[in-house]
Amino acid sequence: MSDLAYEEVEDLEFPDDVHATSTGISNEKLGMWVYLASDCLLFGGMISTYLIYKNRPAEVANLAGSHHIPSDYFDIPFTSMTSFILLMSSLTMVLSVNAIMRGDLTRMRLWLTATAVLGGLFLGGQVYEFTEFLHHGLGFTTNVASSAFFALTGLHGVHVAVGVIMLVSLIALSFRRKMHAEAVEVIGLYWHFVDIVWVLIFTIVYLIP
Amino acid sequence: MTTDITEVDDDSAVHPGEHHSHGPTDGQYFTIFWVLVVLTALEVSTEWWTDWFGEGSRKIAVPVLIILMVIKFFLVALYFMHLKFDSPLLKRSFYFGMILAIAVYGIALTAMNFWEDSGSTRFNNPPPVPPPPFCETSQMPGECPAD
Repeated sequence: MSDLAYEEVEDLEFPDDVHATSTGISNEKLGMWVYLASDCLLFGGMISTYLIYKNRPAEVANLAGSHHIPSDYFDIPFTSMTSFILLMSSLTMVLSVNAIMRGDLTRMRLWLTATAVLGGLFLGGQVYEFTEFLHHGLGFTTNVASSAFFALTGLHGVHVAVGVIMLVSLIALSFRRKMHAEAVEVIGLYWHFVDIVWVLIFTIVYLIP
Repeated sequence: MTTDITEVDDDSAVHPGEHHSHGPTDGQYFTIFWVLVVLTALEVSTEWWTDWFGEGSRKIAVPVLIILMVIKFFLVALYFMHLKFDSPLLKRSFYFGMILAIAVYGIALTAMNFWEDSGSTRFNNPPPVPPPPFCETSQMPGECPAD
């Protein structure tokens, strides 16, 4: 095949050469994966901290507080429901990526809106759960176990909130300019990562006694 | 001049190793989703295993939960995050990061004596209580409880 033919193929795959990189992966996508890898270590640290302190609410010298621990107040059926909501949002996210790959903008917007709404519902569930804990007298500074719990689940909640903001921005942008499938895919990567972290938190924090 | 996209796609000198598989269809994503739902339901059911099957089931609940968690983790990473269909470079980076994180935090938890004593009442080996900092530095007799 001639060089001209190569160029033509490249233009078909990567219009305007915006994604031509030495790795064959666009900078945006690689950047997102590198960010997710660093986030893995962050969440790994938070989960480890929770594991160390979860049953030692008042054993740290000079930091002794209440002996209440978060697991005393877990509502597993409710948290299972919010986990199901987040799992469902991952499905709607991949459906939106598939839709934009087919060039179906309407369905992409529909699935992205569904993902943002489900993310909002998850956040609402988390706010309700935190409020219940506070009503039971378990706050961020009650003891080290509660601090570790609120820091971990709160950080995850912040990630979900940022994801919802990105989804809403993406929907708004889709009305104003031409969409690249990869933009949806990269935000999808972030959203699935948030889901994966919740898979770990739900099992390690809520289900393992 | 002919242009054969399929032929050039994966072996391109410009984009080596980049795979352009379109991944699962909508229907396949729904199947994966329902598998995840069933696995989650199984995980949640362990909460009531002691009521249904007795105290002995507690011992197997934790390994079962960890296995189910790992399966769910890989289902989301490989299919929803497209890792199975993406460039091998991303796959290698992901596995490298995962193994590194497990090693780093495994060592950290070991250093914190987590495996012998997780603070749970089921472990009869509580960590030693350090003396109050004031007593370590105090030179005045009668100021520490030991005096």
